[in-house]
Amino acid sequence: MNNMIWLVRREVWENRSLWVAPLVIASVILITAAFGGIHIADGGRFSMGWKSDSGIEIEESARQNIRNSMATAPLEKKQMVYAITLSSFTAVLLFSMIIVLFFYLLDCLLAERKDRSILFWKSLPVSDAEVVLSKLLTAAVVTPLFVLVVSSVLQILFALVWSVRFSDSFLGEALMAWDGPTWLKLQASFLLVIVTATLWYLPLIAYLLVVSAWARRNAFLWAVLPPVAILTIELLILGSNRFGEYLAHRFIGVFVLLEKKIGSVHGSGMSSMRDVLEAVSAVFTSPETWLGVLAAAAMIFGAIRIRRYRDDS
Amino acid sequence: MTAIIEARGLTKSFGRTPVIRGVDLNVEAGRIVGLIGPNGAGKTTLIKSILGLTSFDGELKVLGRDPRTQRDALMEEVCFIADVAVLPRWLKVSQAVDFVAGVHPRFDRQRALDFLAKTDIKRDSRVRQLSKGMVTQLHLALILAIDAKLLVLDEPTLGLDLLFRRSFYDNLLNDYFNKERTILVTTHQVEEIENILTDVLFIERGKIVLNSPMESLGERFTQLTPAAGNVDRARALKPFWEREIFGRVAMLFDGRDQAELASLGELRAPSVADLFVAMMQPVGTAQSPSKEAA
Repeated sequence: MNNMIWLVRREVWENRSLWVAPLVIASVILITAAFGGIHIADGGRFSMGWKSDSGIEIEESARQNIRNSMATAPLEKKQMVYAITLSSFTAVLLFSMIIVLFFYLLDCLLAERKDRSILFWKSLPVSDAEVVLSKLLTAAVVTPLFVLVVSSVLQILFALVWSVRFSDSFLGEALMAWDGPTWLKLQASFLLVIVTATLWYLPLIAYLLVVSAWARRNAFLWAVLPPVAILTIELLILGSNRFGEYLAHRFIGVFVLLEKKIGSVHGSGMSSMRDVLEAVSAVFTSPETWLGVLAAAAMIFGAIRIRRYRDDS
Repeated sequence: MTAIIEARGLTKSFGRTPVIRGVDLNVEAGRIVGLIGPNGAGKTTLIKSILGLTSFDGELKVLGRDPRTQRDALMEEVCFIADVAVLPRWLKVSQAVDFVAGVHPRFDRQRALDFLAKTDIKRDSRVRQLSKGMVTQLHLALILAIDAKLLVLDEPTLGLDLLFRRSFYDNLLNDYFNKERTILVTTHQVEEIENILTDVLFIERGKIVLNSPMESLGERFTQLTPAAGNVDRARALKPFWEREIFGRVAMLFDGRDQAELASLGELRAPSVADLFVAMMQPVGTAQSPSKEAA
């Protein structure tokens, strides 16, 4: 346990992009919200960008209409707009996290062999299993949780900026700046969805770890080549695309499972916590999820064995 | 005495090429053993086997443990510097100390800090900002602060200047070495370490060709510079190596009576470097200076 904390700390020291990227993105969103973005001048000028003297002129009557229709919109609708706005920030953060994690996973067991620092790490009483698991922990738990915290704080700060900047504009009274229960519900939903998605994507994470442990260079190529080769061979010999379909299913399957249950997001109002829980439990009870976890466990075991005896020097 | 390293019939091949061919070895506690061999003789492979970094066949026990299966436990009592400058370049000096202190139960943080205080290394520098010599100093500071039973050094001073090399070994002897500790070191700079060694091991083509305490080297081996008329008589005593410098012949004898040799000319205890060169070059090839003292 103690070793694990130090090993994860090591990952954070070495791979600063894991935590710098979400902080930078969150800052950009906040700064844009505070100083750029939508300007609504007194004359009813509505503009996007940094300057407020250009943009579309909204006529007084139109403003009145917008205000009226928004002010009279049912609470449910307002909550939806509020939730979607906040979720879009989280989505941006999560998307960038996926990209950063992809390259982190490909590099994490290769870099230490490339710079030969593995000879230093291996001189310490830390087992190969601990090292590989620390990378898994960093990618599957620590980073997503950190990003979620950043996203939560960003949402709170955004609400502050919003209420200060736009409270006396014509949108101010119509749009919600803060809605505690909805915010909390969002955080809980995102946490549940991230945990579920991580479980589902565990085999992918483990696959990247194996490639990283095994490749001597060009981990990206080694990660992409085998599936592409299988796709091509299948297409050439059998003329079918079963593997491709399976891969596609593996990539988006979790959302298909979730969507079935939270499909109502696109309908009227937000899905309730019960819907979310039901959706998540659909993934948790799917045998496919657990087969994936099993495959992941096997691959992680493989990565540990490879790190034990991989010798490049 | 307890055996720190015990090997019986240790072998290792890469594909069909044997690298280690049946090494038997016994290293006891409190020794400083120099493992010396030409490039490709199997030094590094032997060391990697001892450190559990590679697979091998045969029997090998380090501190009574099998490095293949008990490596994790072994690393609490064994530490090593394999080659210079393997500290990761992104690591900060303070992080290095914190990390080792965090994971190593036998690490003495104060000792490492005291050692670092004697150098020009700044606590908040990253390894990439340090010179090669400083990286080695940092690594040494970390290793010396570990209370290990066996320290393995594989070319620890490669590429460093003489001043760094000298202080490296001085630190090792003064601040680290004691009766409970054992050091196994390989280096190409034999001359620099031969006076700190207690034992030498010569390895050639995967075999140990000499395994001797330093003090018995002088009894067993003799270097003779025969007087002008005695060269043929000396040659009749079968030196295992001879070499001509400035018209004078130098011969090395293994296990000859020194009194007998003394009557033929000048005697001298051969240096480890001389012995090494001699043993790696059998008679007849001695004139071709193709091999350097490794």
